[in-house]
Amino acid sequence: MSKVRVVFFASLRERIGHSEYMTELDAPLSIAELKQQLASELDKGQALLEKGIQASIDFEFARDADLVLKDVNEVAFFPPVTGG
Amino acid sequence: MILVQENDFDVDALYKSLLKANKTGAVAMFVGLVRQFADDPEEDSSFELEHYPGMTEHNLQAIVNEAYSRWPLLDVCVVHRVGRLKVDDQIVFVGVSASHRAEAFQACDFIMDYLKSRAAFWKKESKGNESHWVEANIKDEKSLERWSK
Repeated sequence: MSKVRVVFFASLRERIGHSEYMTELDAPLSIAELKQQLASELDKGQALLEKGIQASIDFEFARDADLVLKDVNEVAFFPPVTGG
Repeated sequence: MILVQENDFDVDALYKSLLKANKTGAVAMFVGLVRQFADDPEEDSSFELEHYPGMTEHNLQAIVNEAYSRWPLLDVCVVHRVGRLKVDDQIVFVGVSASHRAEAFQACDFIMDYLKSRAAFWKKESKGNESHWVEANIKDEKSLERWSK
């Protein structure tokens, strides 16, 4: 079992009401599975399951099928970026 | 040079930093500004830029590295502001120096296109007591198709 830090940004952070959260990884989970786990652990976690929510694993953009392995430091979830 | 900062930037100083003696033949630069987004310009409006410290710099470096791999460039400078901004403020600077104009123009355009869709920044607009997060523009994602090899 290992712990992973999960961070949220922008509108998603406001809706979930947390900027940071620690969760347990029993085994490597895909990004899609981690979203499901967080949706049940966090009060307002359902917002993670909406279409268009993006993710990163240790600062690299990640897709739903990408795996969060034990040595991962930080996973982030956020809406599509709007810089520039 | 890649900078993510709250402070404003001086375009003239950034331009000079891109010049390499006896080498530079072309410099292309882009400056993005906060457009007026209120219907009534008299209305009290402001703008907040959030970023993901660490990831944003990592994303920008990856975009700049990709530009270097595609074109022969002398130097690249990207500055992006975060925090509270007002209408007409400068937000972003992208500057590229090269021997010839074609690569300078193309690399500057490429970096700006990728920055819009692949760098961790989020904009929030406020008018009076209301505020809302800016929605991503599908045109920005579409624009990346121009660069597929």
